Amino acid sequence: MKKIKVLILRTAGTNCDYETQSAFELCGAVVERVHINTLVEEKDKIFEYDILTFPGGFTYGDDVASGKILSNEIKNKLGYEVKKYALSGRPIIGICNGFQVLVKMGLLPDPELFKQISTLSYNDSGRFECCWVYLKTEKKIGSESSCIWTKNLPDVISLPVAHGEGKFISESKDFFEDLNKNNQIVFRYSSKDGGEPEYPLVSNGSTERIAGICNKKGNIFGLMPHPERYVFALQHPAKEGFNSKYGWGKVIFQNAVDFAGQ
Amino acid sequence: MFEIEILTKKGFKNSRGEHVLSDICGLGIENVTKVEYSSLYIIDGDISFAETETIASDLLTDKITENYVIRQRDAECLSEVISKFSDVKEADMINPNFSVIEVWYKDGVTDIVSESLIKAVKDLGIAKEIKAKAGHKYYLYGEIFRVTLDTIATKLLANVLIQECKVY
Repeated sequence: MKKIKVLILRTAGTNCDYETQSAFELCGAVVERVHINTLVEEKDKIFEYDILTFPGGFTYGDDVASGKILSNEIKNKLGYEVKKYALSGRPIIGICNGFQVLVKMGLLPDPELFKQISTLSYNDSGRFECCWVYLKTEKKIGSESSCIWTKNLPDVISLPVAHGEGKFISESKDFFEDLNKNNQIVFRYSSKDGGEPEYPLVSNGSTERIAGICNKKGNIFGLMPHPERYVFALQHPAKEGFNSKYGWGKVIFQNAVDFAGQ
Repeated sequence: MFEIEILTKKGFKNSRGEHVLSDICGLGIENVTKVEYSSLYIIDGDISFAETETIASDLLTDKITENYVIRQRDAECLSEVISKFSDVKEADMINPNFSVIEVWYKDGVTDIVSESLIKAVKDLGIAKEIKAKAGHKYYLYGEIFRVTLDTIATKLLANVLIQECKVY
C-alpha cells in the first residue's frame, strides 16, 4: 500500500509541528517537517508530497500581524508552486497560525483567486484566549459539505483553541452569503448541544461564529482550533473520545490520509 | 525617513484600544471615554516613497480591516508632513478632544518587531539596507489632565526601563 507523504512547513516561531507530525503518523502517514528556506531552494520538492500542512505557532513572533510575514514570504517566494499544488486537489490544512497564513495569502477561501478577501483579526475579548470549545460540524446542515477533512465527524465536537487573532471577518456581506451557499463553512463555535455559545466558548467575535472554512472543492481546510491536540481521548479534559481511545482530531487527519491514498 | 501608521478602518472594532480603556478604568481613571490604538513603524535608509508605500500596503496593512498613513519625518524633528493617506479622510484624524501617547523602545534596546520587519521587507523584493523601529500609538478621548496622561503612559502603556513615551 502506498505510504502517504505529508509536508509540514515550518519556520521561525512554528511550535505545533511535532504534535501535527505525531497526529499524521498515528494515521499511517510518513511526515517530513521542512523549513521554508529549504523549500525555497528546491521549490518543486513540494510536489513530492501528498498533503501540505501549515501548522500552528507564532511565526516570526506574530510581528506585524499573526501569519502576515509568513504569508507574504510564501506568496513572494513560493506562490506559483503553492497555488499549483492547491489547484491539483491535494489536501492542504492550516491550523491556527496556519489558517491565518492561508487566509492572508489568499489560498482560502478561493485558491484560484489567490488574493486576500477576508482576515483573522484581534479577538473581541482583546486578549489571547486558550480553552476548549465546542464546534458544530456544518456538514450535517443542509447540503453535505465538500470538505474532505471532516467526514465521519459527529454533529458537535470539542477541540482546544489558543489564539489572540481568531476573529474571522470580511468587508463584504456577499462574502458570507457565498461561503454559506457553497457549503464552505466547516465549523462554527457552538454550545455543547450545538446551540448559540456564550463567552468563553466563543471569545473572538467571528462573523457567523465561523471557526473553520474550506475552499469550494473541499481539499483546502483552515481552522482556528487545534485538532492535533486531541488525537487521543486522554488529551480531553473529561477523557472523552471514540473507541475509548481516540480523540476527534484524529478523524480529521485520518480523512486526509485516506483521501490521499485513494 | 518615513513613519507609517496603521489605523483600524471605520466600522471595525478596535479591540486593543477597548482593552486599554478597560485597563485605564481598572486604574481608577474615569474621564477617558474612548481609546483607539494604531501601530507605528519608522523606516529609515535609502528607500523611496514608492517602496515605503509597498511596505505599508503589502506588508503592514491588513487590507480588510486597516488603512495606512505615511508621513515623511526628518531625523530630529517630530513635526510631521502628512504625505499619503490610504482611504483615510484627514478630517477623521483631527479631533481636538483627544490626546496621544506614543510608546517606542529606547535606543539600544532590542526591537524584535523591527528585526522581523527588515526580514519581511527583503521578502518583498526590496533589497536595500534599512533601519526600522516599531512603536505603539494610543488616541485617548476625553478631557484628560496631563498628569493623568503621564500616569497612564508610565503605569500602564510603557515599561519605562526599556521604553520611552511621547505624550501630546
